[in-house]
Amino acid sequence: MGQLNLNRIQKFYGTYEVLKGIDLEVKNGEFVVFVGPSGCGKSTLLRMIAGLDETSSGDILIEGKRVNDLPPVKRGIAMVFQSYALYPHMTVFENIAFPLRVEKMAEEKLKAKVEHAARILHLDQRLQQKPGMLSGGQRQRVAIGRAIVREPKIFLFDEPLSNLDAALRADMRIELAKLHRQLQATMIYVTHDQVEAMTMADRIVVLNAGQIAQTGAPLELYHKPANTFVAGFIGNPKMNFLPVRCKGVSDAGVEVDYKGQTAVIPVAPQGGLVGRTLTLGVRPEHITLGPGDLTLKVTPTVIERLGAHTVAYAAIGGEGENFCAMLPGTAAIRPEVTIQTGIQVADCHLFDEAGIALERHVELTDIDMGVLDPAAA
Amino acid sequence: MSQPAMINRYRWHELVAIYCGIFVFLAFILAPFVEGFLVSLKPLGLLFSSPYKFWPENGSFAAYKSMWVSVPGFARYIFNSFFISSIVTVIVLVLVVPAAYAFARFKFRGSGALLAAFLAVNMFSGAVLLIPLFRLMRSLGVLNTYFAMIVPGVAFLIPSAIWLLRTYMMRIPRELDEAAFVDGASHFYTLRRVILPIAMPGITVVAITTFIGSYAQQFIFALTFNSKTEYMPLPIGLYAYFGRQEVIWNELMAASFVGIAPAVILIFLMQRYLVAGLTAGAVKQ
Repeated sequence: MGQLNLNRIQKFYGTYEVLKGIDLEVKNGEFVVFVGPSGCGKSTLLRMIAGLDETSSGDILIEGKRVNDLPPVKRGIAMVFQSYALYPHMTVFENIAFPLRVEKMAEEKLKAKVEHAARILHLDQRLQQKPGMLSGGQRQRVAIGRAIVREPKIFLFDEPLSNLDAALRADMRIELAKLHRQLQATMIYVTHDQVEAMTMADRIVVLNAGQIAQTGAPLELYHKPANTFVAGFIGNPKMNFLPVRCKGVSDAGVEVDYKGQTAVIPVAPQGGLVGRTLTLGVRPEHITLGPGDLTLKVTPTVIERLGAHTVAYAAIGGEGENFCAMLPGTAAIRPEVTIQTGIQVADCHLFDEAGIALERHVELTDIDMGVLDPAAA
Repeated sequence: MSQPAMINRYRWHELVAIYCGIFVFLAFILAPFVEGFLVSLKPLGLLFSSPYKFWPENGSFAAYKSMWVSVPGFARYIFNSFFISSIVTVIVLVLVVPAAYAFARFKFRGSGALLAAFLAVNMFSGAVLLIPLFRLMRSLGVLNTYFAMIVPGVAFLIPSAIWLLRTYMMRIPRELDEAAFVDGASHFYTLRRVILPIAMPGITVVAITTFIGSYAQQFIFALTFNSKTEYMPLPIGLYAYFGRQEVIWNELMAASFVGIAPAVILIFLMQRYLVAGLTAGAVKQ
């Protein structure tokens, strides 16, 4: 039994099903990130955990107790809003003290707690200022301070960094990761930004159209996406998908044919695949210049030079979608000049017709010892 | 010298046209006041001189002294007006603030219909309902009291006040309510500690419009529902300068200016709560 359990959570708006039966267990002290495209239901799920939205069916349990009908404050959660939601007429001190004032806490105890929270968040110099005088990052820290001061069991963050500029967002990401380590608290964090998800999460929950597409550690999602949705969502630029034909299945993997070239992709074999059209997935960063196990001739139409990398986009085989390759920063390529790119079979992902992944022969423990068990890291 | 922003720059003839327009409007609005003030300075005999002189010769503030003598109860009328309007404003605010909060924040059955009904009530002026109101007051036995002038005033001012304040409160981000709710605050606590302070400029606007509205409608209610001299408000009190033989125009004008002075001073003082941008920093805009 985890600290937070979601059992078959559903949410309807009228007849429209926003969440289609979510099951999830969150362990004590875990940093879980809900990620997904807009409209996937991730914020709704968070608001239901918070107690701001009603649950249509299913149970929310916190420390084994059903909390569906409890108000937020009795659930032992605190929430940080995307828009900060600071009280503009109160000083930073009063903003942070607000939950304690509601509790009618004694003045000295309250003062000590607020000052402690302010020290953690480096706001001690700002306590007498109003939110209007603070920068975006400071305002967000005040909002976090208001959450910390109540010492909740679970912190909920609703896209807390999406209003900040890129540089500040990177800083706050590090601060939040530090804060998580310092407080040892359970945190649930909603974002549409996969960088935030990858960098901060112990475990990522990828939501798609009201369902959990996959749950796993960041690198697990990267190396072993369960389906084409997760494969395309995690990783930037997006994974390339090529239609291939299955020619044979053996213990070594699945033999596929792509425009006359054949290769054996090392994935768990499965019966009944021969002759079917499968989807071969390969990440742009795994594409190299020159020949490989599979060799593709492409003509880049747009080239983005990022310094560290060169990203080349090419139209391929009339599929309409761009083929994307991430090459070294100094790659000698030019637009409209055809190049040869290579793919190694070990880097490939293979998906069946329904978009479900065939498990790759990759041992995640080889990549990162801590991946499968965050507690051991 | 700093240049105004490009969007605020005008050619000279545009500026002339703008100022001419402003002048015409101001002239229409202010001319009666100027004329009234000038009349209050003139001796009564000079008012009907022919040809009419706009500027007072040997003008004086004598009327401002003699007005108190001609109508001894005038101070009482000023007080009555001020008192009735203040009570009306207080009652309206006490009723309207929670109502506007409810209309702005809660979804409940019939809220749309209620708001529409309030708007419909606003279309009837008090005058249309004078007879039924009179009968009602008479059967309640409250004719010739302050109560008779205060209650109808409150009733007719509530609808527009709710509409005004509801619109203002809808602009306060809902996340503030949600954040307070997550922190354990009740609806009343949230209203008192969070919404009220932020809605202060809106409440001030409502208070001022209600106060002025109450001042304006006193005449008809006082005339119908009250016949006691000691409860009469200012607009009726001014009638005391209409004598049997003649109207003491200069004192009437002086009394008008003196009579509205307390209201003007009050509104001037309330105006400083109309601070714009009080929500700065609440949420990322």
